[in-house]
Amino acid sequence: MAITDAPTREFHPTRVTDLGFWARPFEEREAAFKTLRDEAPVSWHPPMEGGIMPSEQDGIWIVTRHEHITEVSKDPSRFCSGEGVQCEDVPQDLLLASHSFLALDAPRHGQLRRLVSAAFTPRQVRLISEQIADQARRIVDDLLDAGEGDFVELVSKRLPMWTVYEMMGLDPSLRDEAAHMADSMVAFNDVDVAAGREPGEMLNESLVGLLTMGLELAEHRRHHPADDLMTNLVEAEVDGERLSDDDIAAFFVLVSVAGNDTTRNTVSLATRALQEFPDQRAWLAEDFDGRITTATEEFVRWASPVMTFRRTATQDTELGGRSIAAGEWVAMMYASGNRDERVFDDPGTFDLSRKPNPHVGFGGGGPHFCMGHFVAKMQMREMFSQLLDRVPDLQVGEPEFVVGNFVRAVKAMPCSTT
Amino acid sequence: MGFTSAAEVVKYIGGIFEAAFQDDELSPKLRDTGVVLKFDLSDPETDLVVDMANGVVQEGEGNLTIGATMTMAADVANAYWQGKENLPLAMAKGKIKVSGEIATLLRVAPLSQKLFPTYIERLRRDGRDDLLVD
Repeated sequence: MAITDAPTREFHPTRVTDLGFWARPFEEREAAFKTLRDEAPVSWHPPMEGGIMPSEQDGIWIVTRHEHITEVSKDPSRFCSGEGVQCEDVPQDLLLASHSFLALDAPRHGQLRRLVSAAFTPRQVRLISEQIADQARRIVDDLLDAGEGDFVELVSKRLPMWTVYEMMGLDPSLRDEAAHMADSMVAFNDVDVAAGREPGEMLNESLVGLLTMGLELAEHRRHHPADDLMTNLVEAEVDGERLSDDDIAAFFVLVSVAGNDTTRNTVSLATRALQEFPDQRAWLAEDFDGRITTATEEFVRWASPVMTFRRTATQDTELGGRSIAAGEWVAMMYASGNRDERVFDDPGTFDLSRKPNPHVGFGGGGPHFCMGHFVAKMQMREMFSQLLDRVPDLQVGEPEFVVGNFVRAVKAMPCSTT
Repeated sequence: MGFTSAAEVVKYIGGIFEAAFQDDELSPKLRDTGVVLKFDLSDPETDLVVDMANGVVQEGEGNLTIGATMTMAADVANAYWQGKENLPLAMAKGKIKVSGEIATLLRVAPLSQKLFPTYIERLRRDGRDDLLVD
């Protein structure tokens, strides 16, 4: 039976929605989430602070247990994505132009996702896999040449950018600019990154820049087909339907952001963890090919690079014993779900042999499960194969984090190879 | 067909903001932005100026200081306020250009979008089916 909420519902005293909370170290945030998991797994909080426009919501539901995250993820009829997926208000225009099918519901979500999936032909996936192997090898060549520097700049930032834009077929001369704009799309709450610009202005400038690139590339590939994903996207057809240029441009933005920041931060955080837990590193190195698949799942659980996504209740409903009204926002705390002691033994232990590992790092299941998970896994395999084999004495320092509630982003992390 | 004169543009596109200033919920939010927004429209050539702080809509700058400018064809403006143009995509295609206080302008845009149904209703009421975008 649900607890009946008074008209003036009280906010939970554990504060997890102000910017200050998201500036605190991961371990401190996890302590707050543990309190919520134990005492109030579905709890009501003030609207998330930050963002580009004032929130019109009275508050936000924070969901911290694994079971409720998967319940929300798997039931889009009760918890929809079409009214936005981030914890702050975003103008509808921006949402449509930047999130593609991530912020759509059935039936349009399925139609678009099927069309994009059709572009990932087996031949294309093979090609992507070969490209990633080559990228990882060349990145580690350059790392060894450099000897020391910022691991993010030298390694983790380069791989996803290279993978995404080589896969799409973007001209190499445009890739740095594209990646910079993709960064700005998620880091607008970070003072250093914003450098005096207002969040909305920065977000819009990056978004328009990426859309322009996506539109131009789509147009170019229509007339000059090549062996890349963009050519497949402009040619994709499912049940007589094709993607419009606007659809493709929005997908280009989505893949720029989703494909860039997630892998980058998992590579950084997993590298740091392999150093902190040398026994785990040794275990993996002992039989890399046999163990990397299992280990990758733990990399993702450990890093939880996407910390939150939001849904909107489509109807009056109940979750974890709380009454949620239609239209209210429900935010899933993936990093918390990935430390839920009800699901994971010793969740604070980095255990590369963990199996099963039902982490929610790629989402909690359901129709929005990360479409690019197989690309991410290829990237982990190739990158750590190179790093473990060729840079045995790699040392990384303390990571420095971007402030924000969305991506657990490492801004910088010093490294040396000897 | 489309707009045939600047007066018509002011009547309809300007009318969107006049309606917004009558709206109890929207009016204070628009006024709070404090910006003087100029719509530099073409075909037909129209300078539509909205002084948010004072709730005034006028043709031409007069003695106001413009804070931000949106430049577009009048038919793009017509489609935009019917929800048929996506602002970032239209900007990427060069159909809408913005300059000046862009951050403020971006705060106004989503507010004015709440007037889509009112605008469409007005066109219908006035028998301007020629301006309705499918």
